[in-house]
Amino acid sequence: MTAVIEAKGLTRHYGKVRAVEEVSFTVETDSICGLLGRNGAGKTTVMRLITGQEFASDGEVTVFGESPVENPAVLARTCFVRESQVYPDSFRGKHVLKAAAHLFPNWDADYAGRLVDEFRVPLNRRMKKMSRGQRSAVGVIVGLAARAELTLLDEPYAGLDAVARELFYDHLLADYSANPRTIVLSTHLIDEAARLLNHVVVVDGGRVLIDADADDLRGTAVTLVGGHAAIERFATGKEALGWDSVGGISSVTLAGLSDADKAAAVAAGLELAPVSLQQLIVNRTRNSIQEVRS
Amino acid sequence: MTAIAVAPSLGHRVATTVRVHASNPWALFYTPAFITLGVFALNYAIWRTILLAAGDKPLAPDAFDYNGGVTWVMFYLVVVAVQAMNQTFSFTVGLGSTRRDYYLGTSAVFVALAVTFGGGIALMAGIERATSGWGVDGHFFAPGFLQSLPLWELALMYALALAMLMFVGAAAGSMFVRWAATGVIIFFGVLAVIAVAAIYLLVASSAAGPVLTWFGELTPLQAAASTLPVTIVSGVAGFLVLRRATPKG
Repeated sequence: MTAVIEAKGLTRHYGKVRAVEEVSFTVETDSICGLLGRNGAGKTTVMRLITGQEFASDGEVTVFGESPVENPAVLARTCFVRESQVYPDSFRGKHVLKAAAHLFPNWDADYAGRLVDEFRVPLNRRMKKMSRGQRSAVGVIVGLAARAELTLLDEPYAGLDAVARELFYDHLLADYSANPRTIVLSTHLIDEAARLLNHVVVVDGGRVLIDADADDLRGTAVTLVGGHAAIERFATGKEALGWDSVGGISSVTLAGLSDADKAAAVAAGLELAPVSLQQLIVNRTRNSIQEVRS
Repeated sequence: MTAIAVAPSLGHRVATTVRVHASNPWALFYTPAFITLGVFALNYAIWRTILLAAGDKPLAPDAFDYNGGVTWVMFYLVVVAVQAMNQTFSFTVGLGSTRRDYYLGTSAVFVALAVTFGGGIALMAGIERATSGWGVDGHFFAPGFLQSLPLWELALMYALALAMLMFVGAAAGSMFVRWAATGVIIFFGVLAVIAVAAIYLLVASSAAGPVLTWFGELTPLQAAASTLPVTIVSGVAGFLVLRRATPKG
């Protein structure tokens, strides 16, 4: 596999604000990468740097092997859809789709039309009069129908209802299978999107906290449930990501357990449960805050 | 899916920006055109009112010779230029245009508008002459000393003046996009200071008289052509400012 995006020491400061700090990661061709993190973690800035909309203070990013800044060859193969996309006041939904058809060489107008029906987008309504969900739906339609080799979706479904979100996940997976491409998706709804992701990059405070294969990451931690004393005994000396205790029952999420450790845990009468991507990331992010505080 | 190895041609990319501007022709074309016609209609009504009030008394022969109505639309087009950039830059670049392609396309639209409005005003001036000043000896589209100017010169003069105004608007629009309102305020502040300083220097060096004489001796077309350096400098400055601007959102 080859890398579509390669960031090396990518940094963006705004005055004293360090929005992105020495971020390095790669995104492989035809993968779906989750760019995850809390509000203000730097996800959007990273995406803006990848699409040449923002200028790096230091470090570099290459897309398809070239710098994306003012590079029409790279940008024509890239589609960036974000929740906060600005639309001209006078633009109706249909104007956005018309402009997108000109901007993206692989635009599929039939597919866009089908998506409009499914998402029930009022194309004749002005963008600024649309609800947040309807505006998001227009963005999602542009992102899917552009069929760009590299598609970046920044919180694409803010305001979309659960039905529309499911519709989006299904379309994304189906269209990705039919027309493989590289997708970078930033989202808060980690559990919902988890089944889509092959790779996960978690940023926090402008830095990369986790950069791992999604399946590997899921395997790195496990939650043990059992009696308080037994849990305490087993967890001592191991890397605990999170504790929880209700009555006499405790649970602990441990990182880096070997198969032998797991067998020992079962032998000790503890119950093993898989950790969701969301729990794992929440725990890791929380721990990084505690490290900063201490 | 077939991968596109090379970028679409420059022409295609620039045309994309033109299409984004053109997808809603109201702001750029219809509104200024209707405003011009509206101002003209009001002027015509005023001429008629004056004639009615005068009754049989004769008016001075040059009563309806001077009129500044057209300058209204000229300055409105500056606002149109600033607005157009502010509205479409974040959208077009946000969706993946380069700043260069965006600026080239926007410039093409502004030149086309200047030519269209210049030609349109000259066309109306032609009708104005053919109808003896709309039947009331009124001069709206070619007032004052422009009455005797050939129509093609009139069209070129208006187009050149409009191009200058629109590119000053483009420079201001770039500043708005890059530095928000502060940028535009500083821009016009600096412009005003430069203008006052230039006038002061002309007067102080006793050059004001000869310069005014020189300017007075220019034909209308020469005067309009003297705006070209301003147009070009504004156009280049606008691009240099926009080149480092980032889309909102």
